Amino acid sequence: MKIDTTRFGAIEIDDNSILHTPSGLFGFDDQTKFCLIQHRPDTNFRWLQSVEKPSLAFVVIDPADYFTNYEIEIPDVHIEALGIDKSEDVIVLAIVTVGKRSDEITANLVAPVIVNSRTLLGMQIIIQDERYGVKHRLIENVISQDGERSTVEKCQVRSSAVRAD
Amino acid sequence: MLVLARKVGQSIVIGDNVELMVIEVRGDQVRLGISAPKTIPVHRKELLEQIRQENLMAAGDVDVDAVGERFNVLPREKKAG
Repeated sequence: MKIDTTRFGAIEIDDNSILHTPSGLFGFDDQTKFCLIQHRPDTNFRWLQSVEKPSLAFVVIDPADYFTNYEIEIPDVHIEALGIDKSEDVIVLAIVTVGKRSDEITANLVAPVIVNSRTLLGMQIIIQDERYGVKHRLIENVISQDGERSTVEKCQVRSSAVRAD
Repeated sequence: MLVLARKVGQSIVIGDNVELMVIEVRGDQVRLGISAPKTIPVHRKELLEQIRQENLMAAGDVDVDAVGERFNVLPREKKAG
């Protein structure tokens, strides 16, 4: 189907790729359909674009790309609600907030969007873990990763390896 | 709003299976014990509000090109430094 977006214009998306979030996202209770748009081929950033509201799109990342120690336990009640059978089926997306300055890029690690990749059913959940909050700085994290190599570079290496396969 | 007075060790029951017990009172802080089925989410209200606010901010007016530039610059800046 064709959808209108404020940022990307009118785009064609595969109906079978639409993510359904029956309970919406926090603050956006009525937003139940999204699609994922790759930001650029060479980045790890994607957009979670609302199918029904052209102006609504979130920048999202796979938190594992930037926060290598990030681990969460998804409560059983959500596992059941999303019909998740295997952990391989779980897609975790962290919503990114982009501030006015370049060092104000933060990821929300306490309330990730969890998606069952098999059914494309998703929901934003709250992780009961005091280590995680709504603002974790990406730049700080990139710098703190083992010395010279940034997490971003590592991810690019990894994805090109996947492509070579 | 229903207002009830409770002492330490006393509790209130909400519905069939939610129990809220006062465990400790120290100054202006109260520790509560909550027993509820796993299907009932229990969260601090300010966290919910924080998440809502953060979502609203994340959904703010983010320019695609500006984001692209910043995201691409991110690792390179690091390398130069």
